[in-house]
Amino acid sequence: MSTLLAVEGLCLDAMREASASPTSILRDVSFSLREGETIGVLGASGSGKTSLALSLLALLPPGIMARGRITFEGHEMLTATRGARRTLRGRRLSMVFQEPLSALNPRQRVGAQVAEVAQAHGERNAVRARRAAVEMLGRVGLADADRLAQRFPHELAGGERQRVLLAAALLLDPALLVADEPTSALDVTVQAQVLQLLRAQQRERGMALLLVSHDLGVIATTCERTVVLYDGRLVEDAPTRQLLRSPEHAHSRALVDAIRPAERAE
Amino acid sequence: MAAPTFQRLHRDRAAQIAGGVLAVVALAALLAPWLAPFDPTAQPDPVGLRLAAPSIAHPLGTDPFSRDVLSRMLHGARVSLGVAAGAMLLSVTLGTALGALAAMRGGWVDSLVSGVVDVLIAMPRLLVVIALVATFGTLSPWWLVALIGGSGWLTTARIVRAEMRDHLQREYVIAARALGAAPWRIVWRHLLPAAAPQMAVAAALALAAVIPLEAALSFVGLGIQPPLPSWGNVLLDGTDYLTSAWWLVLAPVGAVTLTVGSALVLADRLRAAIASEAREQ
Amino acid sequence: MARLLLARLFHAAVVGAIVATSVFLLLQFAPGDPFATALDGADVPSTVRAEWRARYGFDRPPGERFLRWAQALAHGELGYSASRHRTVAAVVADAVPRTLLLVGTALALGFAAGIGIALLQVRHHQRWPDRLLGALTLLGVALPEFLLALLAMTWLGARWRLFPVAGIGGLGDPAAWPLWERALDLLWHLALPAGVLALAVAARVARHQRAALLQVMHEDFIRTARAKGLGEWDVLRRHALPNAIGPVIALLGLALPSLVGGAVLIERIFGWPGMGLTLFDALLARDYPLVLAAVLMATLLAVVARTVTDVIADVVAPRRVRER
Repeated sequence: MSTLLAVEGLCLDAMREASASPTSILRDVSFSLREGETIGVLGASGSGKTSLALSLLALLPPGIMARGRITFEGHEMLTATRGARRTLRGRRLSMVFQEPLSALNPRQRVGAQVAEVAQAHGERNAVRARRAAVEMLGRVGLADADRLAQRFPHELAGGERQRVLLAAALLLDPALLVADEPTSALDVTVQAQVLQLLRAQQRERGMALLLVSHDLGVIATTCERTVVLYDGRLVEDAPTRQLLRSPEHAHSRALVDAIRPAERAE
Repeated sequence: MAAPTFQRLHRDRAAQIAGGVLAVVALAALLAPWLAPFDPTAQPDPVGLRLAAPSIAHPLGTDPFSRDVLSRMLHGARVSLGVAAGAMLLSVTLGTALGALAAMRGGWVDSLVSGVVDVLIAMPRLLVVIALVATFGTLSPWWLVALIGGSGWLTTARIVRAEMRDHLQREYVIAARALGAAPWRIVWRHLLPAAAPQMAVAAALALAAVIPLEAALSFVGLGIQPPLPSWGNVLLDGTDYLTSAWWLVLAPVGAVTLTVGSALVLADRLRAAIASEAREQ
Repeated sequence: MARLLLARLFHAAVVGAIVATSVFLLLQFAPGDPFATALDGADVPSTVRAEWRARYGFDRPPGERFLRWAQALAHGELGYSASRHRTVAAVVADAVPRTLLLVGTALALGFAAGIGIALLQVRHHQRWPDRLLGALTLLGVALPEFLLALLAMTWLGARWRLFPVAGIGGLGDPAAWPLWERALDLLWHLALPAGVLALAVAARVARHQRAALLQVMHEDFIRTARAKGLGEWDVLRRHALPNAIGPVIALLGLALPSLVGGAVLIERIFGWPGMGLTLFDALLARDYPLVLAAVLMATLLAVVARTVTDVIADVVAPRRVRER
């Protein structure tokens, strides 16, 4: 299969106001992703993994400078015009976030927040957009989707909120889904359900998935390949199974050792 | 705690400019007797020099009584800013005292002060002052200070009360209380310094509210009485000649706007400094 | 919501009662009465003075006069205006709608314009449109309304003759002028006073709204909206604004009393015959019942408007999270 996403020599620097020297977030990160491939980005907090995820959609907050190249379906994400990025986001590459509550607009019904993706990409018919949204809410495992679409985010449970976000992200059948710690804000039982849903949807659609997590367990059950970020550098890029068996970098080894006891218990 | 907030302001360009403008205006008011080229009340030639356009001798022209407008503006700044500064000091002092009282005492004192603030703040201040002045007849500048200042303490009281209540919950104050410090001592040593940046905001806002108030009162004939010059009086003298001598109103309008604008910018930047201070803690 | 409304109504009633009482007390200290100029001459016999004052109850002790006045007020009677030779209620009934028209138009226009300005500023944050509009709104806040009114009257009215400078218009003979022409004339006269007041509102709203929007723009759901592929305008309009407008409405409510104060001066400058102009006329004529009614009405207007903004702010406030 052909390459869907290529990250080459990506460097991210945070410009702090008033201070002259920028602090480095990512240094010379390169990796690529084939169509339909699942990749895990593993790193401790502060390793720059969220910034990496955001840079893929060119969603970096102001004040973070990016160098290098991010090529998605032939588009240079870092230099593309605002309009070009806009037509890609939500349609060809989507993202779900860590905190489902704060990632949803508190003043908009969740159905409208899903339907909005279709409307942002050319669907003029509000009724059709809504119908598609309700159907999608059903497909991500939400019961009674028609009624649920009428509710506000604060009226839903954590897992339901994340499913709503996932429905919005998957509505237009993107080629790549970027998931930034999609389960770390959820209860353990709900975590497993959402992960399972993520895997099922990925397989069903043949969609590529980039899963960012600090939890090797989450990545191990979901991703074929894993890259490890440590202190802003990419220190390992290997099939997940190989990483688990023989991690090369000292940091990867520490992460693998940390979950070993759990695996042995199985 | 307070000092870093004010230090932040020293590095703020907008705040520097605003502070500079206020300093220049205040200096002009203080030095008016030496700066003013003419006697502000002298009427050298009520026929020949009436409503003269700006010239080298009279940079802002002359008014209907042939008085030099620049001199009247400079001396007017003494009166207008003097009344404004006095009223501001009075309202900030009153507001701080009542706000501190409400915060420290709590209970019915707090309810009473907050209730009074809540009721009075719904009333248009200008109307209240106009009604009072109209009732008592024309007032001396001192009474004007008392009246304007006495009607302006509400905002300060609100701000100070909220700030002090917040600090009363903090550990360093609780520790001081636990050590048996007297209430007035806690206010003086801990709460006042902590609330100082917010009080500065309140003071800047009070100044911004008081200067137009004085001008408005003079404008409707209820403020400083002529021939004593004030910005409002210069304005009033100009309003009858808006079409023939339009430059007459520009000087007072410009002076009021510049001063109020600077005070507002200062309040804005102070708030921003307080906010970024809080973010970094 | 219902509780808030009740509390606010109670508040309005308390404010009204306090204002009425204090204005009445104040006027007791004031020298002279409505007949002072007409009767207090040496050539008027003292019996005539006494008779006229007795006829209108001015010879009673203040306490009794206050009770009578309050009792009448409870029945909706505000007394008789000696300077207008009409009941105060009739004068007020004429003037209040005009003030409402002026303030209402200014509020609606100013609010819409202020929000538009703020959206434009945030859309172009820290670029020239933001800076330019920021400087203009600062000017709009720093320049007192009545000074702006004077400038507008001088240039737009008197010098360039684009707008009428005084009066309310629209009062031509109903038989000779069709309704729509009278309405148009009214709007024509409304343009300057309402426009000036609207600019003042717009500047205040824009400054608050810009700050509130900038705060919301840091929220996660804004990032989500961008990730969905929404354009920046849609992000602002559909996601940022609904979450940032509540505090601005509440703040506007707090600024309303000073707005009413500004409206009073503007009415005087443009000769707009609303409550403000009535107040000044009544003060000059020492027409106490009318002064009382004017201050009462202006305060009530501020309080009612504040109630309305509080309720609206409560309705549009972002929903609190109910943890489950």
